[in-house]
Amino acid sequence: MARDDVLAGQILLSVRDLTVQAEEDGKSRTILDRISFDLNPSQILSVIGESGSGKTVLARTLASWLSVPLRVTGGAIHFRGEDLISNPKFAKSLSGREIAYIGGNPAGALDPTMTVGAQLVEKLRAVRPDISKSDARDKAIALLKAVKIPAAERRFYEYPFQYSGGMMQRAMIVDALISDPALLIADNITQPLDVTVAAQILKLLRELNSEFSTAILFICSSLPVACDAADEVMVLHDGRVVERQVPAALVDAPQHSYTKGLIKELPTLWAEGKDESGTVKPDVGQPIMSVHGVAKHYETHGKSGWALVQAVRNVQFDVFRGDNFGIVGESGCGKSSLMRLLTGLERPDAGTILFQGENVGEASPKRLRQLRRKFQLVLQDPYGSLPPQSSIGSILEEPLIIHKIGSRAERRDKARAIMAEVGLPDNFYDRLPTGLSAGQRQRLNVGRAMILEPELLIMDETLSALDQTEQGKLLELFQRLQEEHGFTYIFISHDLTMVRQVCSRIAVMYLGETVEVASNERLFFDPGHPYSRALLSAAPTLEKRRYSPEKCLLEGEPPSPIDLPPGCAFANRCPHAFDRCMAETPKLLSRGDHALAACFLNE
Amino acid sequence: MSNLNTALDFSQPKRERKVAARIWSQAFASIEFKIGMVVFIALLALAIFYPWVSGVDPLKMNIRGKLAPPLFMGEGWTWANPLGTDQLGRDMLARSLVGLRYSLLIGVSTTVLMVSVGALIGLFAGYFGGRVDTVLMRLTDAQLSIPMIILAITILGVSRPTIPSIIIVLGLAGWPVYARIMRSTVMSERKKEFVRGAQVLGATDWRIMFTLIVPLVLPPIAFVAVLDIARMMIFESVLGFLGLGVQPPTPTFGNIIADGRKYLINAWWIATMPGVFLVLTLTSINLMGASLERARNAIYGGA
Amino acid sequence: MFIVRFLIRRLLQGALIVFLVSALIFTLLRVVPGDPVRLMAGGMAPEALIEEIAQEMGLRDPIYQQFARYMGGVIQGDLGQSFVRPANGAAVGGASFDDSTRAARAEVWDLIAQTVPMTLQLALLSMIFALVIAVPIGVMGGLRPGKWPDRLALYLSSVFISLPNFWLGIVLALLLSVKLNLLPAIGYEGFAYTILPALVLAVEIAPFIIRTLTVSVANVMGQNFIDIAAVRGLTRNQIIFRHALKNSAIPLLNLLGVQFSMLLGGVLVIEFIFDYPGLGRLTINAVMQRDFPLIQGIAIVTAAAFVLINIVVDLCATAIDPRLDY
Repeated sequence: MARDDVLAGQILLSVRDLTVQAEEDGKSRTILDRISFDLNPSQILSVIGESGSGKTVLARTLASWLSVPLRVTGGAIHFRGEDLISNPKFAKSLSGREIAYIGGNPAGALDPTMTVGAQLVEKLRAVRPDISKSDARDKAIALLKAVKIPAAERRFYEYPFQYSGGMMQRAMIVDALISDPALLIADNITQPLDVTVAAQILKLLRELNSEFSTAILFICSSLPVACDAADEVMVLHDGRVVERQVPAALVDAPQHSYTKGLIKELPTLWAEGKDESGTVKPDVGQPIMSVHGVAKHYETHGKSGWALVQAVRNVQFDVFRGDNFGIVGESGCGKSSLMRLLTGLERPDAGTILFQGENVGEASPKRLRQLRRKFQLVLQDPYGSLPPQSSIGSILEEPLIIHKIGSRAERRDKARAIMAEVGLPDNFYDRLPTGLSAGQRQRLNVGRAMILEPELLIMDETLSALDQTEQGKLLELFQRLQEEHGFTYIFISHDLTMVRQVCSRIAVMYLGETVEVASNERLFFDPGHPYSRALLSAAPTLEKRRYSPEKCLLEGEPPSPIDLPPGCAFANRCPHAFDRCMAETPKLLSRGDHALAACFLNE
Repeated sequence: MSNLNTALDFSQPKRERKVAARIWSQAFASIEFKIGMVVFIALLALAIFYPWVSGVDPLKMNIRGKLAPPLFMGEGWTWANPLGTDQLGRDMLARSLVGLRYSLLIGVSTTVLMVSVGALIGLFAGYFGGRVDTVLMRLTDAQLSIPMIILAITILGVSRPTIPSIIIVLGLAGWPVYARIMRSTVMSERKKEFVRGAQVLGATDWRIMFTLIVPLVLPPIAFVAVLDIARMMIFESVLGFLGLGVQPPTPTFGNIIADGRKYLINAWWIATMPGVFLVLTLTSINLMGASLERARNAIYGGA
Repeated sequence: MFIVRFLIRRLLQGALIVFLVSALIFTLLRVVPGDPVRLMAGGMAPEALIEEIAQEMGLRDPIYQQFARYMGGVIQGDLGQSFVRPANGAAVGGASFDDSTRAARAEVWDLIAQTVPMTLQLALLSMIFALVIAVPIGVMGGLRPGKWPDRLALYLSSVFISLPNFWLGIVLALLLSVKLNLLPAIGYEGFAYTILPALVLAVEIAPFIIRTLTVSVANVMGQNFIDIAAVRGLTRNQIIFRHALKNSAIPLLNLLGVQFSMLLGGVLVIEFIFDYPGLGRLTINAVMQRDFPLIQGIAIVTAAAFVLINIVVDLCATAIDPRLDY
């Protein structure tokens, strides 16, 4: 019956009983198990599944890009009625021309030594040799304009490294669309991007879909993104299609137990009854850490000589004892530089960082080392943050040795006690960390940080490398430790949903500045800065949004921290910007109840 | 997913070993390494035991038995001198083997010296960066810009060559390459989070350098240094050939070949046979070194 | 604009390097034992005469004064005069202490300028040979890691690198020149005399190129943009010749910059064996005769050449990969 629809021009792609197996050491393992689905022309279909569900293998199979040990062992893929499996040569001739593919790693997708334009032309002429060079160039520039790359004529002659991540993903969309394909496979394309940039890309994809009538297979791991992007959502689990529905129906009435679990596990941003977040009520009074007017710049030298990168410009907030303080912002907002300043790894150029009344930025190296017992850092990357050659026991004991605490036996007991506390099995003591999972590694990191019994723990993107379930478990651990030891936490993160779940007070950073500081509820229900609103509008969620991306965010990239425009840094993307925003920098002003925001609209 | 996990569990004992051990075992698994090692051990055993077991004195002259060709080559060969004799009737095999001993001694000590000096300088430059780095790297560039051999023959040519002076001169001439490699690897390790972690814990720079970074970056560099043992042995023989190596009557590959060059037309084996020995030794070392280098690249690329 | 700033910065750095090299060599030559004047004047010369000559040449002044005087000359393009070579004719060595031709000793600069073209000819030819041998082997090895072309590259480079240049020179001269009479070997009476030395030198350089290329080609082939290029619709030829090779050329360029000194070392020995009248033979003779000004001059010239070559290499690398920034 599918055959008839194909002949009638109804169905572009028809997949029947597609099975892919991996063969390793003589054993074969089924990755895709009898997958069947149809895709109509100019339809957008999202494929969602957790890592290991086979969604990337599906994308690659459709793009004729399977490599050993993966192999198609059964089924058929009909593209406009022709089977791609039985005719690999035909399949190969389609790739890049009729079936285009965009991957999740835009940074490495093009040759770094050639201009973006030259590669777009090269690609078009490789699949369509009849097109002349100048026609190809005109088409590429027209498409660069269509994906809203500013100054497209100039950008055409620039190299990939001169593009930001979001721009590069736009260029890759051009690369895919330039040959007027009938099918576009988008494999996790928003995953490495910041939420506001990802929201812009999604918006763009929908526009292009209606303009060029390209069918899109949108593969991603986040259910909210999948629902935002597509006409229909297909759920993949363990290599099988378990469910396919339009987004609204899927959210309201999921059929399969896996989908139900997925939707239930998703944290919500605005649902009521969420205010148990700060269970330990912050003791508002003397702040444990007080940051005022902190700035840090770095010198870089590039082609155009020396330049100043203003990584941190004006940061200001207080953290109170027992707080779960969140610092959110997108990449490039100065979070990591701020972390280095807060922990005394670097010294600020201006401003003060007071820890229990003592200035960390000016403490002597010796005093700093003593202070470090009281504030510790848990790092972002579970793989790079542990010395690979030391056993787990000695990693835990190292801080004690450094600070000359206890005898050898005492240190050993302490390390074992901490291992029990963070949930690492006792027999891991002599193992190397290489075999640990990401979650176990972060537990070890937390254990190492708390073995010195600090008062303040700074979590630098500690959870961002973990999946949803693992995150939940670690958050529980954090909460338990806080109850037992009275820790104060600072969470540095890009993840609004995580911050919403755990933090009592939140600072929002944009381009090195704190643009808003507010309590959790206040930030999510009454944000005082347009950037906070834009961030909230772009956050992936299944809920009905309080703020829509269309109204809160303009097209455009954040300005470079090397070349900052005068006035408010967000003005070029702000829908509310007026003349004064371009000329004058707004100051952080109190909105009452310890809430601060830097926007003229609040005056 | 569950399948993937079990696959990981299986390989866990393998993954848990330290990097050095993994490089070693991967290299050892390759046929090239085994060939190199068998040949090398055979030659080493010969060099250690032959002069002692056979009782042949490499310095003993025997004018009547002079210029005897190697086994089965031309007239007048004897079993007593498997590689023939030289213009003074000295046994070529014994001479070559003694040459091999000196060559190895100088090659290994020179490499150790230059790796230590280079690694130390690279460690400081890469770890501290900034002004320390600039000064040390300018020095390195300066040293690198004088061809090593010109420097070596200049020093040895104007002073008297002895074994220690040869080792010191070659070692001091060869360090810049290691300083550069060490600097760049230390720089990339220094940016890693575990270093930042140790700093936050309050560890001093020295502690981080010598307990965290050095054990991590030195073994891979040391493995590749095996290749330089062979290179240094060539340099030693070049010096000997130019008359700037270990001085006669001590036989070295270089001075035997230089001597033999005068008799090239009549007694080709004097100049060529020690060379064959040297080439065999070097090839065996280079095969081992290249396998180690590849294993290192594979593990660093894949890890 | 970039290029001007780059050149100014690098030339200044280069000048510093050359200065350091001169200081190093100058000091070394003065602290090692052995009096060059004794050598110049001959073993028979009376002590008083030696002192007189030494005084006259300023060799008894403090080292820093001698060095300042020497550098003053270098800045004006004067590398001094050879201790032992007359302006024309063969080296005099320590023939006679009352030699009246002492005043007309050869200019170091002239000696170097005469020999450099010969050495350049040898170096270029050997570089061509080496690239012809090594590039196909290295690239093939890098394209098929673990397969036979890769093995071939490994074995071939291991054997080539194990051939001492002086020994290979002798063996090839014996075979090709003496036994088979194919190529001339010793001395220089025409271009044919360059071929054999260049071949030996090429064998010495080739393994480094093979190794670098196999590693860098294999690395580039494993990168995401190569992987994805096929999905974008590019053909394998386009991928290899337009993208992979271009990207793997940079490590090769850097190798040429760093290994320049190795090349010169090889030139030295090979010119000595084949009696080839280039810079290498000049160097060895200068060392044997303790001709300090000549040694210093050669060191400065080679250091300057090293600096210039590395500037050119870096410029080429930036032209290939605009991300690089030196």
